[in-house]
Amino acid sequence: MQKPTIYPLLRADKLDHWHHRLSDDLKLDSDAVQRFEVTYYDSFDWRLYAAGKSLQCLRGPHGSETRLVELSDQSVTASLVVDVAEARFASSLPDSALRTRLEPLLEMRALLPLVTLKVVRYCLRQEDAEGKTRARLYLESFSRVDGAGQRRLLQKRLRLQPLRGYQKAADGLRRKLERRHELEATDDQLFAQALTAAGKQAGDYSSSPAIDLQPGMRADAAVRRVLSELFATMKANEAGVIADLDSEFLHDFRVAVRRTRSALGELKRVFPPATLQRFRREFAWLGSLTGNVRDLDVYLLKFDTYKSAIPAGLREDLEPLRAFLRYKQHAEHTQQLAPQLRGSRYRKLKQQWQRFLDAPLAKRPTARDAAKPVGLVAHHRTWRVYKRVLKEGAAITPESPHPELHELRKSCKKLRYLMEFFQSLYPPKGIRAAIKELKQLQGNLGDFQDADVQIAALKGFAMEMRRRGEYTAATGKAIDALLAVLQSRLHQVRAEFESRFELFASDTNQARFKRLFHPQEEADVA
Amino acid sequence: MITVACYNIKGGVGKTAAAVNLAYLAAQGGANTLVWDLDPQGAASFYFRIKPRIKGGSFSLFQRKRRLDDVIKATDYPRLDLVPADFSYRNMDLLLEQQRKPGTRLKKLIKPLRSEYHFLFLDCAPSISLVSENIFAAADVLLVPTIPTTLSLRTLKQLQDFCAAGDYAHLTVIPFFSMVDRRKSLHREIVDNRSGLLEATPRTYIPYASEVEQMGTRRAPLDTYAHASWAARAYRDMWQELQPRLLARRRAG
Repeated sequence: MQKPTIYPLLRADKLDHWHHRLSDDLKLDSDAVQRFEVTYYDSFDWRLYAAGKSLQCLRGPHGSETRLVELSDQSVTASLVVDVAEARFASSLPDSALRTRLEPLLEMRALLPLVTLKVVRYCLRQEDAEGKTRARLYLESFSRVDGAGQRRLLQKRLRLQPLRGYQKAADGLRRKLERRHELEATDDQLFAQALTAAGKQAGDYSSSPAIDLQPGMRADAAVRRVLSELFATMKANEAGVIADLDSEFLHDFRVAVRRTRSALGELKRVFPPATLQRFRREFAWLGSLTGNVRDLDVYLLKFDTYKSAIPAGLREDLEPLRAFLRYKQHAEHTQQLAPQLRGSRYRKLKQQWQRFLDAPLAKRPTARDAAKPVGLVAHHRTWRVYKRVLKEGAAITPESPHPELHELRKSCKKLRYLMEFFQSLYPPKGIRAAIKELKQLQGNLGDFQDADVQIAALKGFAMEMRRRGEYTAATGKAIDALLAVLQSRLHQVRAEFESRFELFASDTNQARFKRLFHPQEEADVA
Repeated sequence: MITVACYNIKGGVGKTAAAVNLAYLAAQGGANTLVWDLDPQGAASFYFRIKPRIKGGSFSLFQRKRRLDDVIKATDYPRLDLVPADFSYRNMDLLLEQQRKPGTRLKKLIKPLRSEYHFLFLDCAPSISLVSENIFAAADVLLVPTIPTTLSLRTLKQLQDFCAAGDYAHLTVIPFFSMVDRRKSLHREIVDNRSGLLEATPRTYIPYASEVEQMGTRRAPLDTYAHASWAARAYRDMWQELQPRLLARRRAG
């Protein structure tokens, strides 16, 4: 579609008056008036918006159509005669160009409605002697129905839509509209206006928000800011977790909980010990509460990959496992997770945590590091954890038992969180490079942990399926095949560990971390 | 993009009607669709009320002076565009012969459109020539309207042999029955007893119907003016049958 020209009309303008005026003056033909609704969709983390696109579902008396639109020029990249509300995920759309375009953008994220507008559209067109349309004009009004059922007008406009290969006809109409009817073109603001009217802000969610700190800030103030951001992330995801809209709400929620726990553990000299202990216990509870569902989510997300890793003849026999996992995920969610997140323990935690975060800073804090500059504390703590990682890693031999690798993985995670909390205190290039190096090592340790946990879990699932009578010989064979795949994966990543760690602990890398975190005035802090 | 060539060595078998009506249904279903009217007679252009003329003629296209993108015209239907015919197409063979790699010029020309359109329908002139070779090289699917007569089946056999012998292994040939007149016993017999060459034909056939002929006076796709007719329904059923096969073709390629 060619880029349209938009002329705003006055709110008081009557579209049918304009319709008569324009069709008489410009000798245009008209088609029937269209009345329909358009609903805009995106994922919770605005993936389509970030890719410069919007998904619109048009619902009218003649059915529904879903369109993927480029925000820059309003051109339609793909569309499908389908109501997107029937498919929460891109992967559940019928095989089509629309699905092909949406799947890689959205992945596992659900499509959520942003705002719905009611549209009235008068259609005019200019025809040539052969009866071929050469340009189209639309008189449109958009209104939004608010929560109270009140219809509120957003805008009225005239849209000149050029047709491909007929630019001259559109140019002619444009000249006439601007000269004879004194119309002035503007940018298309509809999507932005609609979002504002619905109280939404495009791109307002990110799972890892940037936290801007200054090195001279008091450590307790700085860490509270970090914790407040993490708390905001938890609250933003809470409703999506309870409704189980998609797996990523819980993922982001859990990451925020884990980061909070890590901050409370690693920065313990910043806050009074009694306060810390209470919150550490409560956040640990929240961590374990969310663990089971997340593990099952991960299993389900990886299921297709698992399925394709076992011999083709066994693949379909793995499906009962998927059904079992779905059932179990649903049961855990509805019986444990959701009720607890609606319950009083979580509510109290939130209230107390908010009070703690909002409380004024103590003038003479009791905690040792509270009033120290955050730059110094960050240096010191990060350096300590970094040294711990090096020590634990160096102690691991090919014969070391699995728990030692898991401990190292946890230390790495703590190091990573500290580096991310205090990222803004360091030269961007240097800290990004250090995080990248750490990520490489974490990748290996994470894969090892995943395989290890999944092997244990899979054995448990098999037993449970047997108890429930959902276990056939064929499914048993498929599960054994999957176990073999996971075992060989476990051995493979374990074998890679030594070389990965060697890279991480190389002299260049050690110098890199030393440059960033080595505390020059260690005596002051320790 | 999936390129579908409506092609038959014989003329007057319902190629243009198939290209126009199936492309219209594809676009209605939500796919960005382009029809290229390659027949110098310009019947598809006429049906869409678009002048059968390209600025600079086919010469400018094949000499790379003009991109295909520049000559595309929107039809009156959403998501459906057309590359009009041009009388100079009658000399396309001569033009192609003067090019380097004359067998794949068409393929080169449509390449830039791949990300913009989901379906390209080529409405081809009847013949077997250098132009046809270009079409075979460019297309993913050869859709062959076939009137159920002995001679038509013989031509179909020739076509399939030709494709199998050349470098066209990528090409899926899908014949379908067109202009079927059930009053004729030969038509009935062939349509009802498919075997050999015809096993892959869609179950649906396009009947011989005056509504289809009226496309010439209505100058619009059949579905827009005779939605309830038998023939319009047949095209819809045909598209239902073909679409998954075409999409499967995309995944394979």
